[in-house]
Amino acid sequence: MKRVMAIRILLVDDHPVVRQGLKTLLEGQFGWEVVGEASDGVEALDMASSLHPDVMVLDVTMPKMNGLETCRLLRRSTPGLEILFVTQHDSPQMMREALDAGARGYVVKSNAARDLLEAVKAVSQHRAFTALTRRDTLESS
Amino acid sequence: MKLRILLADDHEIVRRGLCALLQKHEGWEVCGEAADGREALEMAKQLAPDVIILDIGMPNLNGLATTRQMLQQDPNAKIIVLTITDSDQVIREALNAGARGFVLKSDAARDLVSAVEALQDKRMFFTPRVNDLMLTGFLEKGRAISTREPPSLPTLTAREREITQLLAEGKSSKEAAALLNLSTKTVETHRSNIMRKLSLHSIRDLVVYAIKNHIIQIDRPLEVKDTPESPVA
Repeated sequence: MKRVMAIRILLVDDHPVVRQGLKTLLEGQFGWEVVGEASDGVEALDMASSLHPDVMVLDVTMPKMNGLETCRLLRRSTPGLEILFVTQHDSPQMMREALDAGARGYVVKSNAARDLLEAVKAVSQHRAFTALTRRDTLESS
Repeated sequence: MKLRILLADDHEIVRRGLCALLQKHEGWEVCGEAADGREALEMAKQLAPDVIILDIGMPNLNGLATTRQMLQQDPNAKIIVLTITDSDQVIREALNAGARGFVLKSDAARDLVSAVEALQDKRMFFTPRVNDLMLTGFLEKGRAISTREPPSLPTLTAREREITQLLAEGKSSKEAAALLNLSTKTVETHRSNIMRKLSLHSIRDLVVYAIKNHIIQIDRPLEVKDTPESPVA
């Protein structure tokens, strides 16, 4: 019998419509559950300590506390939690900052529908997942 | 009969979220989804939706240019624009383009249903900020100001604006020509005219112009603080 992989996910993004889109996608996977939604880094820290998710899907640019700061703090307070950034910043520099802050994965929002499920699965198994699409218009002109 | 809505946003994840939001409403259906303005124009022609929701910052043809072209195609089209910013310039351009609704993306979960309801009832829907600006004679003031400003966006034709967007997005003249069903030579002629009209000297200048005039959008500036140990509360 195939074993169902249950994954408890906390979604953190300041745009409710984006959270709704991510949730629809994630909850289509059997056994995956969005246990909570936060709209900024401060709320995310609180919810991470009370809900004990396996994976946090985290935006970079948010009010009150951005995703990078949130990630650094979580690395100390909740070391078992795996963090996957889902952001509109399609840049190698930002990806490097995110990984240095302690994230396990990095996905660009424009490709989230394609990459998110694979990325969540990977980071939940403590494997890295990173994907960029950027074409640098200024440099290529 | 169901109210049929066409949705256009380049981010599939946003479209999923918007779909989920709209389809909760009884009697509404999302009849089509487009990932850019050109696709939206085609789908609007084929599907004849009752309401069209357009993101402003789409590639290939942005939401404002799409709004103008859709209204040329069908002057009765009911269009709501979705935007990440409600700056004066964006509001003015959206209204001038003919949008009947204006919703901030960050408030879409709260405002979008009300906006569609308003258009369904042949009313308009604007955020409180837009209403405030309109009440204070914003449009008249804007027109007065625009006559004093140095020539910018209005000096370009619709075709030149389309080409400006494609070039600023990094497409070559050949790629832009293929997208617009024009010859490369025609695009290059337009390109020279654009550069001359705007007194620009490089593609880099053109990109800056396109960003400043909301022809293309870039990511919001990141508000990263220097100290990782900033207080949590």
